[in-house]
Amino acid sequence: MTADVHINAVEHRFNSFTALHRVDLEIAAGEFIVLLGPSGCGKTTLLSIIGGFYTPSEGQVLIGGKDMTHVGPKDRPTTTMFQDYALFPHMTLCDNVAFGLRMRGMSKVARSEKAMEMLDMVGLADKAGRKPHELSGGQRQRVALARALAVEPDVLLLDEPLGALDLKLRRQMQDELKAIQRRVGTTFVHVTHDQEEAMAIADRIVVMNHGRIEHCGTPEEVYLTPKTLFSANFMGEMNRIPVSAAGASPLGQLDVPAGEGLLCLRPENIGLEGQFSLGPARLTEASFFGAHHRCHFTPVNAPDLTLVAHLPQGAYPQVGAEVELFGRDPVILPPAMTEAA
Amino acid sequence: MRYLSWVYLLALFTFILLPVVTLVVFSFQDGRLPVPPFKGVTFEWYAKVLSDRAMMEALFNSLIVALLSSLCALTLGFLAASGLARVILPGSALMRGALIAPMTVSYLIIALGLLQMFNQIGLRPSLLATGIGHVVINLPLCFAIIYAAIGEHQKSALKAARDLGAREWQVLWLVAAPMLMPSLAAAFFLAFTFSWDEFIIAFLLTRFDVTLPVEIWSMLRSGLSPETNAVGSLVFLVSIAIVVVLELTLFRKGSK
Repeated sequence: MTADVHINAVEHRFNSFTALHRVDLEIAAGEFIVLLGPSGCGKTTLLSIIGGFYTPSEGQVLIGGKDMTHVGPKDRPTTTMFQDYALFPHMTLCDNVAFGLRMRGMSKVARSEKAMEMLDMVGLADKAGRKPHELSGGQRQRVALARALAVEPDVLLLDEPLGALDLKLRRQMQDELKAIQRRVGTTFVHVTHDQEEAMAIADRIVVMNHGRIEHCGTPEEVYLTPKTLFSANFMGEMNRIPVSAAGASPLGQLDVPAGEGLLCLRPENIGLEGQFSLGPARLTEASFFGAHHRCHFTPVNAPDLTLVAHLPQGAYPQVGAEVELFGRDPVILPPAMTEAA
Repeated sequence: MRYLSWVYLLALFTFILLPVVTLVVFSFQDGRLPVPPFKGVTFEWYAKVLSDRAMMEALFNSLIVALLSSLCALTLGFLAASGLARVILPGSALMRGALIAPMTVSYLIIALGLLQMFNQIGLRPSLLATGIGHVVINLPLCFAIIYAAIGEHQKSALKAARDLGAREWQVLWLVAAPMLMPSLAAAFFLAFTFSWDEFIIAFLLTRFDVTLPVEIWSMLRSGLSPETNAVGSLVFLVSIAIVVVLELTLFRKGSK
């Protein structure tokens, strides 16, 4: 079961605070969408509006073509996987997973069969008779997922579900979430503030800030060709060099595509060779990160600037040495897109 | 220091328990007055109490009033607490305050108010009137205990139940009540004991059928007798039983 979601000019206000400013978003059926942004950006509010926990101050929510703006969570084809799992502590795992089916009037035999099937999918079939407090965090996570999916929702909403897990388990759960989403084909809308998690699982990432959508696109688009300085910075580290329309910059004349604004270069796109020269620079600091060396360079022409570059293993100059730096894949953001970063 | 703290502990327990111990000991007094010296052991007074029809009726009345009034206070308190915990309304704080306010008013004042109001609407002093009075004093207590027990964790489980399609009564019956069971039980037993012990309201709001404390009071008016001690000991036994049951079920669970 799956459905598309249309969010038309949704605005939401809490008293005098506007949490969402006329947000428009189209989510295709079966898509894995990640709402990404810092805390307070409105991503959880948007998720709650899709789930029916809030009625938007203005605008419309369509799920599967039907207007759901004023329909409560109980009657929506959506289920939510909550941040703190929200399992029922007095019920066994099997009863937890079967709860939604019980509310839909399914017979006891049929629903426990379906619940076992769902528990099997998340690898917990052997623990069906246990209570939630006997499980680890990652296992509770899976029960919550099985419970939300057992009622075969059209849209599954995930509210920072991996936030409480340690890094290794989080990476593993990301892979599992993605695999399960592929298998059931349900539309997933996932909220997180972790950009690595977003890139790992999303078909499309929606970067949000101050109640607005900054950028919406595939992980590659959002990371490689950010539309605003905020989304450029939020997706990862970024070197910023102001350039004029003719290519003049504090580093000297640069051979980059024409356009006034801010030249943005990811650390891995600065190196000892590349598409255009960034001029001579002195290495001031270097540390080894396993996959790369993270190096701080001070350009000779602009001692106030610091450029961060990731150089490949084994190939980095001595601290204090002067080298010529090169850049590749430049992104130039026009001045209008560099506000509020 | 260690020696002193044992002395302190002993003094403390003596202070708390001496009256009760005296009461129980002299309920076995083989004589007419429950005062020293102790003259020997007899079960005569217990036999007298247990064969006293008025006394047994009062005891039965007390049980019924305590049971029904505390169930009623528990239900109302539970509904009020889950409602106020679920949504923030304009005036939520005011409503909470109004619900808890009767706790700060003396029982005598509440009883006088109820007496006047029942007169106005034509409800005669009776066990029903007393039961209503006990709901009035126990509702704030039940509400406060249950409301305090509803934390973020509970709220989010209730949200999940609604999200999975539960109707409001199913949310309350299948999720909220079982999750809050320890505090529901604590609220119920407290309300039960308060109603069981309550004298002033019962005294003003009953006439022909009376509750146990009122019956004991009328017995005391005809002077001290080991029989009153025997009644007191029986009431004390019921309270002890409740505490033991609580200790064995609820509080043990909490420490696990």
